[in-house]
Amino acid sequence: MQPFSYSRARTAAEAVEAIAAGGQGTRFLAGGTTLYDLMKLNVEAPRRVVDVSGLDELADFDTSGESELVFGALAKMSDVASDERLIRDYPALSESLWKAASQQLRNMASLGGNLLQRTRCAYFRFGEPFQCNKRKPGSGCAAIGGIDRGHALLGGSEHCIATYPGDWAVALAAFDAVVDVLGPKGRRSIPLQELHREPGDSPDIETTLAPDELILRIRVPATDAGRASTYHKIRDRESYAFALASAAVAVAFEDGAVSEARIAIGGLATRPWRAFEAERSLIGKPLTEEAAKAAGARALEGAKPGHHNAFRIELGARTVADALMIAKARA
Amino acid sequence: MSAAPFPNTARVDAFDKVRGAARYGADRSPPGMLHAALATATIGKGRIESIDTSAARAVPGVRLVLTHEDLASEIKPAGYLMAGGYASNGLQPMIAPEIAWRGQPIAIVVADTLPAAIEAAALVRASFAVEPIAVELSAEGTQTVVQSESQLPKPMYEDIVAGDADKAFAEAAVQVDAVFTTPAQHQNPIELVGTVAEWKDGTLIIHEGTQNAEAMRHGLARQLGLTPEQVQIVSPYCGGGFGQKNSLQIYTPLAAVAARRVDRPVKLVVPRAAVFHNSSFRPASRHRFRLGADKSGKLIAAIHETDSQSSRHDLFPTLYAETTGHMYAIDNFRGRERLVRTDTQAPGYMRAPFEHVAAFTMESCIDEMAYALGKDPVALRLANDAYADPISKKPFSSRHLAECLTRGAAMFGWDKRQMAPGSMRAPDGTQIGWGVAAGSYKAATAPAIARLTLTDQGRAIINVGVHEMGQGIRTALSNVVAAKLGIAPELVEAEIGVTGASPQHLTAGSWGTATAVPAASEAADAMLKALAELGQSDAAGRKPAELLKAAGRPSLSVEIRRKAPGHPDQIFGRLASGLPSAMGPAYPEYVSFSYIAHFVEVRIEPGTRRIRVPRVVSVVDCGRVVSPRTATSQVQGGVVWGIGAALREASEVDPRFGGFLNADIAEYVVPVNADIGSIEVGFIDKPDPRLNEVGVKGLGEVVMVGVAPAIANAIFHATGKRLRDLPIRIEHVLDKGDL
Ligand SMILES: Cc1cc2nc3c(=O)[nH]c(=O)nc-3n(C[C@H](O)[C@H](O)[C@H](O)COP(=O)(O)OP(=O)(O)OC[C@H]3O[C@@H](n4cnc5c(N)ncnc54)[C@H](O)[C@@H]3O)c2cc1C
Ligand code: SF4
Repeated sequence: MQPFSYSRARTAAEAVEAIAAGGQGTRFLAGGTTLYDLMKLNVEAPRRVVDVSGLDELADFDTSGESELVFGALAKMSDVASDERLIRDYPALSESLWKAASQQLRNMASLGGNLLQRTRCAYFRFGEPFQCNKRKPGSGCAAIGGIDRGHALLGGSEHCIATYPGDWAVALAAFDAVVDVLGPKGRRSIPLQELHREPGDSPDIETTLAPDELILRIRVPATDAGRASTYHKIRDRESYAFALASAAVAVAFEDGAVSEARIAIGGLATRPWRAFEAERSLIGKPLTEEAAKAAGARALEGAKPGHHNAFRIELGARTVADALMIAKARA
Repeated sequence: MSAAPFPNTARVDAFDKVRGAARYGADRSPPGMLHAALATATIGKGRIESIDTSAARAVPGVRLVLTHEDLASEIKPAGYLMAGGYASNGLQPMIAPEIAWRGQPIAIVVADTLPAAIEAAALVRASFAVEPIAVELSAEGTQTVVQSESQLPKPMYEDIVAGDADKAFAEAAVQVDAVFTTPAQHQNPIELVGTVAEWKDGTLIIHEGTQNAEAMRHGLARQLGLTPEQVQIVSPYCGGGFGQKNSLQIYTPLAAVAARRVDRPVKLVVPRAAVFHNSSFRPASRHRFRLGADKSGKLIAAIHETDSQSSRHDLFPTLYAETTGHMYAIDNFRGRERLVRTDTQAPGYMRAPFEHVAAFTMESCIDEMAYALGKDPVALRLANDAYADPISKKPFSSRHLAECLTRGAAMFGWDKRQMAPGSMRAPDGTQIGWGVAAGSYKAATAPAIARLTLTDQGRAIINVGVHEMGQGIRTALSNVVAAKLGIAPELVEAEIGVTGASPQHLTAGSWGTATAVPAASEAADAMLKALAELGQSDAAGRKPAELLKAAGRPSLSVEIRRKAPGHPDQIFGRLASGLPSAMGPAYPEYVSFSYIAHFVEVRIEPGTRRIRVPRVVSVVDCGRVVSPRTATSQVQGGVVWGIGAALREASEVDPRFGGFLNADIAEYVVPVNADIGSIEVGFIDKPDPRLNEVGVKGLGEVVMVGVAPAIANAIFHATGKRLRDLPIRIEHVLDKGDL
């Protein structure tokens, strides 16, 4: 870790001003559970840190709206996870937070910071001697040809196959969430599905957010399909582990046939991955186990295995299938 | 012998621990203390060509940066624990430019603050001449050593042989022949390795959690050219050892030298990733196990051949066949152990180091044999129970394995099991498997000197060689001394883990209780005698403190020495010089093991195939249970560990880089609460009076032996799949097989 200067913003506008003034290598600090972790590993080495954790204007969330749910970027994971309306009407959103990290981390971590957490790829996290295009552009990718059991099967490139590790963004992707941001040039809104980039030939650029843009809020359009939803997460232990495969799904039915289906998968791709084809395959038909399995297989279509991760294609398909049946039982 | 079972008293230090009042090594911060951090090698093997510390030195607050260029003449090797020395690695880093494994320290930085030390350590730059590495058992460039033909001391490391196993196996009507692999694993106690080194008037004082204060003391003396009297180790509590802290670690002399150079106390807490790379670990291993039986189900032959990972510089000897050779009444047995030199730090003893792995191989084969014979796996074990040691033909000091199996079967409800694989299912299609396996662990004993002091205020202080590592030895000592003296357990204080008085011999190998408790008990007997000799006429029924007061004595001390049956008197010399001195399982008159039987239920869900372990029943024969509360906790902890070893834990190795990839506890997955269901514990609680007067055998290691095969056998029962590579994960059961 190297020394850095620290300032505390009182308003969102002040935060954006501070980051613009700070120039390259300035970072927002929210809960610190990703940023400090990576600073201690020398993967992140900001010169300046602008603490936004005190921005009360962004700490609230409202799940009672008729047309949309609104989450301040600084709302805590643990508070949102245990919101009763969310648990009742959008279990997938609540579960994606409950099943992430540990209670201690959720108490610290913010929803906005959560979206921007970085990959768990060991070659990325542990620095020298590993080549890593994300950490050190142009150095290569040690994961390709290495221990890739946890690496992405979808959305990778020859430069990087790092999995996007978060859960919350996957659930948000299923619900067409939008992210409101504030930058020196003003406000704009980014559909969540456009927030994260695939690595392509620049794995170091992970999002479409400019470095000086602050996430203000996350908005989720209200939908009745929220009730019959789940976030199903399969991992190497029953709690406190990242997903080997996960699925956020929501379904609605008319006359016994699927009228709406939402499927996003996590732990399998380089970004939160919406499976539109799989969704479409379900519409207008009863949701049987066979249909769920077929949709699961669809969701993983195009998956490219490496050395140790091929099993997660089948696992991912089954995770989607099981998630669909769990969601159906809630309809 | 203790006729009555011991009461279920609370842990004597529980209150201190939950309040944070118990002081661990790195909790100390003497006035003026500075902080140290390490820089480590990024190559797998080679040589430092040049090292640049200028940027590190320029960091504000940095007081000192030391590299091999500074230390060559200041630190000598302490020698490897298993080669007559004191350290977990015979190769002491930073006294030569050679790099033997990735992650080896190349510099130590001392600064006013921890952040400054860490920042500066990251700025140390070295250039290396790189050599090729071989880090996996099967890699090209490893070197295989046949243990029985090596320089390792014999007969200790001779292959175990009885009868003619190859001939008997070839003639066996029913044969099982299988290959197993187990991964490298790391202990990961919550307490990191951490040391606070302080010099006072030429004496070096080290605060550090350890299982072996005496080896640290003598090892440091040797390394730094001091007399042992000039070194004091303070380790009243160790926050989990499990073999990781069983000897002098490579970091301690570095902190000591740094403290001497800056003339201030220095604290070095080693980060988790560095501990993964420089402390010990469970070696990767590969086994071929052959088991032969006649048609009636009598086991007639077993052959156990092993390849176990070792380091280039130190040979870590193995004793896998010590478990499998003595387990059942098999007349023909042959073990053959080989060691494979790889480019790592020296592996070592991680909880049930050989026994857990050996039991996985043998007990899996026993299960397979039961199916080949069409016999119930419990019945097959009972039918092949041994009444004398099959290798030496000597009797066992005690053996209640059969009772562990029958009582465990009853507690578990084993009679409701349907034998056919895949025959038990939940309504949702979840496959249910019930598995059983047995385990054993040598009942060893080390020599000990115990000093007991009684004050007229009623307090008793027992000073004996043993370390509190969370296993509850303070509670066991209190219980035994209190029971003998007729005082309350909270009045007994244990002075342990601190050098200077009784030698603080290595506490490991499950001999801690069987060593310290009988010694404390004998000291208490000596005290009763000394009290009687005070000559108080109406001594009967009076508290010891009253007798002292009446005799006008503020305090009274006694000292006894105790050694294992068959130990020569010279053993006390070894004890005094900090060398491992334990004996067992073979004693002159008998052979001693603790035993356990585990019964496990697994459930494998139909879709995503997560393997869950909702319940375990474990019944133990550890002789007399001297502290029921902490003993139960030991069993539960051992079972949890077994679940982790079977289903979770593996230290990942990338053969291109060496070292370990998942070197933190976010990525090295140990079980969490949500992984653990019910663990029901039963104790036979029959004393073993031949072994010692209290009747205790060991407990802390046997508890995890057999958990892994019980789980693997349960998975077979659930799925029809025999899985012989640990850990068993989702990918291994994703394919449902033919069921
Ligand atoms: C051991 C461990 C296990 C974990 N397990 C899981 C898991 O299973 N599932 C899961 O989903 N997550 C998991 N996490 C990740 C955890 O959820 C994230 O670290 C956390 O949500 C990040 O939030 P934070 O507020 O602490 O972010 P910070 O660390 O403060 O910030 C993270 C990043 O976001 C930026 N940032 C923060 N707020 C804003 C904002 N408003 N606008 C713009 N940029 C911003 C920061 O500059 C930084 O780059 C785990 C983390 C750890 C350490
Ligand atoms: S997968 Fe991506 S993050 Fe991992 S080593 Fe390759 S480039 Fe780096």
